[in-house]
Amino acid sequence: MKRFTPADLAMATGVTVLFIAALGIEQAFAHKAPHTNEQLAAFEQVFMEEVRTGDLLFHGDPATEKKLGVKLSSTGMACAMCHPYTSDTHPQEFPKFQEQMNEFATLRDMINWCIEKPNEGEKIDPNGKAMKALEAYITWSNRNSTLDPGRH
Amino acid sequence: MNERQKLHAEMSRAFRGPATGPAAATVLTRRIFLHKSLLLGAAGVATYGFFPFLNVLDVAFAANAQTFRFAWISDTHLYPKDVNTRFVDKTVRAIDEVKAMSPAPDFLIFGGDLAQLGDPVELKLGAELLKELKIKQVFIPGEHDWYLDMGKTWNTMFGQSPWSFDHKGVRFVGLDTVSRAEDFWTPRKMTAKERMGHMATLDGTLGGSWAAVGKEQLKWLEDALAGWPKDKPVVVFSHNPLYEYYPPWNFWVRDWREVHEVLAPYGNVTNIHGHTHQVLYNEIGRLRSIGMLATSWPWPYAPEGVPGLTRPMVRADPGDHFDGVGWSALALNDAGRVDNDYRMWRKDVFATAPADLGTGDNRNQVLSPRIADRI
Repeated sequence: MKRFTPADLAMATGVTVLFIAALGIEQAFAHKAPHTNEQLAAFEQVFMEEVRTGDLLFHGDPATEKKLGVKLSSTGMACAMCHPYTSDTHPQEFPKFQEQMNEFATLRDMINWCIEKPNEGEKIDPNGKAMKALEAYITWSNRNSTLDPGRH
Repeated sequence: MNERQKLHAEMSRAFRGPATGPAAATVLTRRIFLHKSLLLGAAGVATYGFFPFLNVLDVAFAANAQTFRFAWISDTHLYPKDVNTRFVDKTVRAIDEVKAMSPAPDFLIFGGDLAQLGDPVELKLGAELLKELKIKQVFIPGEHDWYLDMGKTWNTMFGQSPWSFDHKGVRFVGLDTVSRAEDFWTPRKMTAKERMGHMATLDGTLGGSWAAVGKEQLKWLEDALAGWPKDKPVVVFSHNPLYEYYPPWNFWVRDWREVHEVLAPYGNVTNIHGHTHQVLYNEIGRLRSIGMLATSWPWPYAPEGVPGLTRPMVRADPGDHFDGVGWSALALNDAGRVDNDYRMWRKDVFATAPADLGTGDNRNQVLSPRIADRI
């Protein structure tokens, strides 16, 4: 499994800072002043870009996998082949006891279980960019479902 | 009542007239009975043969057909062997089980999506596996078989659709419901592989409402049934269901109203379809529809639109790729009715408790169409 090197992370951080700077956000990390509409739009743009990346990963886009250095499947199966529109991913029900793992699990744990077991891919960094993007897409798609943690 | 529910109500009004099938009260009674039986766990122990159970109140049609069996396999979604052998293993298992049927079925209907990406390598692999079966075989295409070369390889290897034939008092019809996507690829200058990729994504955006019978084929269907006695059995095979279940995933044909108008004069029509990869049953007017299992993987029930007459299948175990899938042995009984026997590779086909219903989760599942493929 490819892991991000410090150089990768530094580059990613640099890109993010440049991206935010390019959007003209002066107080991106401050809460002392009211948010401007531009800031809110920029925050949403950052989020939706993650959703878009997650959507591509979820649908097995090889270019996005390569870019992020992950291999989510070795069987030709993509997440969306069992979960069109992310159905039956139920992010609103996590964390919960997950029968397959026989343990209390988060959505990220479940994503990695699916990658490793049915998809026979390589487990991804639970805090890495690919995981965050998958989580962003799955939760965005289910954003109108009602939170119901613990439900099986 | 949301837009889709309104459409379903309209569908019922339009096609369930006073003299066209089970009376509304009967349907309601059965729905309540089914619902209660699921909640209480009673009658849910029946594993196979849900047809006699569901249709026990229906009126039998003229008993002039002979009893015989046929088999359905579909949605094998074969990749080349070097990508994955699990779909090959499951296809082989289904074929071996059809071979073992005793007495042998009169024929096999392959209901489409033999290949995953329409690759001639995949289609040839499928043909090679199916050669093991020595019984008559008939084929209809799925979208995965079609959009790499717009059906050229498929038609050469498996013959063109539509077609019809008569067998022991039943008129069988095979339709092509997949080849009528609107051209999204030319304006975007897509390669054939890119086009196929979009069409092979169930929840893709660009394919739109590609499932249709089409005007020419509707005319063909009208002609194919003309002269056939109105009370004799007709079985229509299609890849997509011939009613509206969930359009975003093409769990329908977009011209289902016209299809029903053509079929309406016939008293005993059964539509048998693939594409949905799940246990499904519906009645509209006098037309009954049965959804077949895939051998490849089960699709979840759509977030809305599951017909009220469907007894949902159990949740599949995602860790077992032989779970939630299979094939079907079908029989024409002596009342000219189709009995369906799901051969799912597990003991219990139907959910017996609300917690195990695939559809039970839909009450708290509001989903969004994808965004990354809107190009």
